[in-house]
Amino acid sequence: MSNTVTESGLLPAPGAADRPLPAVRRVGFRQALRAEAIKLRSVRSTTWTLASLVVLGVGLTVIVCATSAEWLASSEADESPGSFVTWGMMFAQLSALVLGSIVVTSEYARGMIATTVAAVPRRVTVIAAKSVVLAAVLFVVGTLTAFAGYFGGNAFLDAEGVGLALSDDGVLRALIGSGLYLAVLGLFGAALGLLLRHTAAAVTFGIALVFVVGNLVVLVPGATGEWLTKLMPGNAGSSIATVTSFNPDLLDAWPGFAVFCAETALLLGIATARFVRRDA
Amino acid sequence: MIAAHGLTKTYGATVAVDSVDFTVQAGRVTGFLGPNGAGKSTTMRMLLGLDRPTAGTATIGGRDYRDLPAPLREVGALLDAHAVHPGRTARDHLRWLAASNDIPRRRVDEVLDQVGLTAVAGVRAGKFSLGMGQRLGIAGALLGDPGVVVLDEPVNGLDPEGIRWIRGLTRRLSDEGRTVFVSSHLMSEMALTADHLLVIGRGRILADTDMADFIARHSRAYVLVRAPRPDELSSLLAREGLVLGSRAGLARDELRVIGDDTAAVGALAGAAGLHLHELTLVRSSLEEAFMSLTADSVEFHADTTRSAA
Repeated sequence: MSNTVTESGLLPAPGAADRPLPAVRRVGFRQALRAEAIKLRSVRSTTWTLASLVVLGVGLTVIVCATSAEWLASSEADESPGSFVTWGMMFAQLSALVLGSIVVTSEYARGMIATTVAAVPRRVTVIAAKSVVLAAVLFVVGTLTAFAGYFGGNAFLDAEGVGLALSDDGVLRALIGSGLYLAVLGLFGAALGLLLRHTAAAVTFGIALVFVVGNLVVLVPGATGEWLTKLMPGNAGSSIATVTSFNPDLLDAWPGFAVFCAETALLLGIATARFVRRDA
Repeated sequence: MIAAHGLTKTYGATVAVDSVDFTVQAGRVTGFLGPNGAGKSTTMRMLLGLDRPTAGTATIGGRDYRDLPAPLREVGALLDAHAVHPGRTARDHLRWLAASNDIPRRRVDEVLDQVGLTAVAGVRAGKFSLGMGQRLGIAGALLGDPGVVVLDEPVNGLDPEGIRWIRGLTRRLSDEGRTVFVSSHLMSEMALTADHLLVIGRGRILADTDMADFIARHSRAYVLVRAPRPDELSSLLAREGLVLGSRAGLARDELRVIGDDTAAVGALAGAAGLHLHELTLVRSSLEEAFMSLTADSVEFHADTTRSAA
């Protein structure tokens, strides 16, 4: 393509590059990853949801530890301090679910998905890049939030002599596990977003499934109810984020998390398969 | 070069694009003209790998869009000016597009400058007017310095200055040897912009022609005559071998004479001593030619008596 001289001879012809661009090389996952990272960084909704994640995760943990420390140290205490040092993450997970959903649904709100797919026609690459960026950000922010909440809240527990050391059994696992849980929950939200393609629908459905239905299935009688409780995504996934769960019937940390990962992978797989087949 | 072979898209029982074949050549502006709902956007979306054809193929330089190594470096497209995140700035929108196709960062500022958006590069796209959004979309299309440019209804919602800008832009892009494929539902706009014309109606290609040919073939002329004694004049002209057009829609004292020979009408009337009150050469517009070409293929008529089933 030659860069012709325009009438004025001064302005570049529209479209023509001032200097020739480097030779075309096949682009792929690495480029898609950079594009998705820029997308995530460049909208305010990301800043706000992550800020709410930190505020809820740190703030609520500190508050609940500060107000419960005396009780936990008393003889009336029937809960373990291990259930309190990541308490705020129960609410911070809302932000992770919302962020995951809007990362996808914002593409559908005004039809930007067409621009995205025109730029990266291999749709599995689009979803893979989005997932990696989202999960990485949520893991880092979630883990840092959990650590900050632990240090802030545990100070109050220490003062009453019921604090937990980082080296205590399950503490480090719960803090890093908080980041892991939030990362996968974000992907769960993204999968819902990709299936429902509407922010309100995806967020509502996600909250209902993880927070409401997850707590209601306990009411189903017998072994069915017991297993439903164990296997509901929010229940299975969240035990990795607590040192000691409030609910002793849940799956153990790592088996629970594995179940949650499998559920998320299945949902994301179905959503991606549909995304690949249907018109953008 | 763009090529479509047997390209078809159906939605249930509705055939949106009905086995179309065409090519779009480099170095000229090809207008893709058709009424709303004729299948223009669907065809363009299939070309860009957004919609999956029910049958047939659409290729760019012989390759499927999805197989292009760096699609934005070869094809630039404007599909929908609203298709940007309202919360993202113009510059950030172009930055992620550039990153996705290994396009150097400097191109972002270059295209912002070329479309005249440098001053608002840091403004969130949601605050843009329709015209500014259109310019941002075009900046995105030009980002990779592509050899093929596809613009779907680029003048929609633009002010006259913007429309002129698009005309100049498409002209210069084609002068640079690029393949330029522009859709519109306005014949008058196409007549000013395109060198070649593809007319689509109800999903079928109705004409694939050089624009100059199309104009020569379809712009018909007649002489409008107003006279106090129209019937006498009419028999006289018919006797002298002139062809009279239908008087439908004319006033009682008006006649239509096919052709552009005003002089013959005047001379014959004068020789017979018949007065004329008006003698006007009328050329039917391209818009009318386009309307008659697509009359049977438009999906929704305003005229309820002719509404399609």
